[in-house]
Amino acid sequence: MTLIETVGLCQKYGEHDILRDVNLKVEPGETLALIGPTGAGKTTLLRLLNLLDIPASGRLYFDNADVSRASKARQEARRRMAFVLQKPVVFNSSVYDNVACGLKWRGVMGADLRTKVDPVLETVGLSVCRDRNARTLSGGETQRVAIARAIVLEPELLLLDEPTANLDPVSASKIEELIAGIIRQRQSTVIMATHDRSHGERLADRMAVLMNGELTQVGKSKDIFASPGSRDIAEFVGAENIIGGVIIASDDGLATIDAGGRLIEAISDYPDGEEVYACVRPENIILSISASHDSERNSFSGEIASVASMGPLCRIEVDCGFPLVALVTKRSAGELVLEKGKTVHAAFKATSVHVIRRQG
Amino acid sequence: MREGNLRTLKNRLVKFLAPPVILVTAIYVLAGCEGPTDVPPLPPQPRLRVATTTSLYDTGLWGYLEPMFERKYRVELDVIYAGSGRAIELGRRGDVDVVTVHDPALEDKFIADGYGVRRIPFAYNYFVIVGPPSDPAGIKGMSPEDAFSRLADGNGGSFVSRGDESGTHSMEKKIWANAGYNYEKVRKETGWYVEGGRGMGPTLMMTNEKRAYTLTDAGTFLAYKGKLELVPLVEKGDILLNVYSVIAVNPDKVPGVKSDLSARLVELMVSPETQKLIGNYGVKEYGRQLFTPFSGSEPKQVGDNE
Amino acid sequence: MNEIWQGLIKAVELIVSFDQEVMEIAGRSLVIAVTSLGLAALVCLPLGGLIHARQFRGKKTLVTLIQTLYSIPTVVIGLFVFLLLSRAGPLGGLNLLFTPTAMVIGQALLVAPILLGLTISALSGVDGLLPDTARSLGANGFQTSLVVLKEARFAVMAAVVLAFGRAISEVGVAIMVGGNILGYTRVMPTAISLETGKGDLALSMALGMILLFIALIINFGLNRIQQG
Repeated sequence: MTLIETVGLCQKYGEHDILRDVNLKVEPGETLALIGPTGAGKTTLLRLLNLLDIPASGRLYFDNADVSRASKARQEARRRMAFVLQKPVVFNSSVYDNVACGLKWRGVMGADLRTKVDPVLETVGLSVCRDRNARTLSGGETQRVAIARAIVLEPELLLLDEPTANLDPVSASKIEELIAGIIRQRQSTVIMATHDRSHGERLADRMAVLMNGELTQVGKSKDIFASPGSRDIAEFVGAENIIGGVIIASDDGLATIDAGGRLIEAISDYPDGEEVYACVRPENIILSISASHDSERNSFSGEIASVASMGPLCRIEVDCGFPLVALVTKRSAGELVLEKGKTVHAAFKATSVHVIRRQG
Repeated sequence: MREGNLRTLKNRLVKFLAPPVILVTAIYVLAGCEGPTDVPPLPPQPRLRVATTTSLYDTGLWGYLEPMFERKYRVELDVIYAGSGRAIELGRRGDVDVVTVHDPALEDKFIADGYGVRRIPFAYNYFVIVGPPSDPAGIKGMSPEDAFSRLADGNGGSFVSRGDESGTHSMEKKIWANAGYNYEKVRKETGWYVEGGRGMGPTLMMTNEKRAYTLTDAGTFLAYKGKLELVPLVEKGDILLNVYSVIAVNPDKVPGVKSDLSARLVELMVSPETQKLIGNYGVKEYGRQLFTPFSGSEPKQVGDNE
Repeated sequence: MNEIWQGLIKAVELIVSFDQEVMEIAGRSLVIAVTSLGLAALVCLPLGGLIHARQFRGKKTLVTLIQTLYSIPTVVIGLFVFLLLSRAGPLGGLNLLFTPTAMVIGQALLVAPILLGLTISALSGVDGLLPDTARSLGANGFQTSLVVLKEARFAVMAAVVLAFGRAISEVGVAIMVGGNILGYTRVMPTAISLETGKGDLALSMALGMILLFIALIINFGLNRIQQG
């Protein structure tokens, strides 16, 4: 059972390829986060999925019907979805009329309209602004109108393009809560584009990584975070420690990597001599003053190169021959008196290391 | 529920459509109620078109003759105001059925080229040179040619020309030629020579404003006299005879013109009744006749212009 | 100064007494102007929308050309339509010269560039994402056009008002192709021009004021529509 599926989807802008060979299947009821850096083609893909644009080549199926090319089916299919564009544009009319317009276009009128629109306004917290002109709203409120306009349609497929971008942190977290609520109710299938991986990680069941117009990895959120498919993805999903090396020994899934003289043990099936990257997420690195953790396969000592505060956490960079970044709570950083120049031991498990083959 | 929906839909529709509908209806009703019986927008009667020299229009003669003709022949007469030159051009193109003009040379050519059926003079009066009562150029009582020469010296006021290829304009050119001037050079003179480019009435108004001199037909001058300070200064001279003719456009040369009706109009113009009317026209209002009906032969001499 | 006062007094007199001839001329002016405006709008508003929506080579040049035509003298349009409708012209057989129909054609041509050009710029003022937003919420092509037109309604209305002003006040077309025939094609501006020539300045002033008064009522009405 698939709600929407793309097969070899390509899009061009002039001579420029924006999307190449995108193959994606989305099941009804699931939430997919489309992540990737700015300019990767997320918006282009969403526009194709919403049937706003016609793909340069490839096929697009909605509810098993081919809607790749201009046809009446496209209009009908589009009416079963709703798309919240990245830059919300509200119509020059009241908030109520803005939210009601999609229903009106579907022929809903009068009392039916009100019984549908009013609860949605309540949900997004805009009941007080019901009769205000939507053009007079703040950025966060405008985004809420845009979302209300979409969810009032009870779409089978809800497409969201960077719903929290360009908002202040308070508005952004309100919108995120709102979206989380919608997803929890499981009424719609949701595809949400975001460049904020943590955002996607919190909300989505699955993630699809789009890089330079290509869908590079699709999988469960935690799988992608744990085992990114390439160095680029690894960087994007926040595996800050990416250490280049060569496998010098492997034994039953346990490999030893030579990283500039230091040896790292990791779980990997790659053969000897393979050039690889060892990726370790900073939160998986444990810092201590004395090297006593025998359970950790990998333990390196080094001087602290920098200490930076990040909210409740401290980002500490240790020079162990290669730079290693660790995240510790402010409290433990205080207890251990972690300062620049101090020698510490950084340790991580072999299972925390994700090995990616180096290409080219 | 459904009924409620329908009602709101209806309300919305009414609300949305009412203002433009009311406005447009109001415009048409307002415009249409001015007596549709008097002036139907497209009357069923045939229409006959006359292009007339401005002097016959500005004197009001056509306004006087038009209803008479319309009543008699149950026809809508469209009178188009144009100088003799343009009137004849409209005839040549077939845009009018009849012309009434006063430019004998042009008329002869029109006939010779086959566009006009026959030139039928129906009335005459005289051209006069008018100017301010103070007569700064001192042309009073001169011959037209001498008066023009005096004006061309450029000391003593300016001259306003019609400049519109009308009959009066043709006459002006003729006088310049007789006086020994090259008209094309004269019209480029600045300072004293002004080319107005308008009908006889407007030209008189302009001349009055500028306290200048101009050549006009006596009829239009009389009709406008009440609004002007200008006085007639040169009235004598053979050249000043001004003959008005009516010419039906030749249907053989210009297909589509209404030959039957235009023949009627021509007939009417020279009928004794109309001739009498023309002779009496303006007598009550201006104290003297504006046009002398053409009876018998065309006058060759400038007579007593009473 | 005296004539202006006399004009004012005469205007009031003519309006209050419902002067048959003046009312007839005023009514004719209105009908001809509104009809030509309606015809031109019927073609130009959708056409403007189409030109705005489509991307094609030479679009900028086309828009510049349309804008250039804003300043075409009315007599040039008059001359053009005259040559077209004159019996010696290509459409002479229709026998339309010196009729109100000819004036409607001429005035419609006169205001078409204004309506077309200003509609295009009115639509350009609408956010480019607006049509996509409407479509993404399920609007079909027609509904999308309506949304865009509704967004641009103030600017489009301004175009209509301007075009109406040009149509009802112009002399060139009316005199060239209408012929200023009493009781048939004489409209306010040509009547004013004629009366001025005759030296009846008070009547001319009065007619001018009545013309303004009509324009006032029309604009009042259009503003009501706009707010409704």
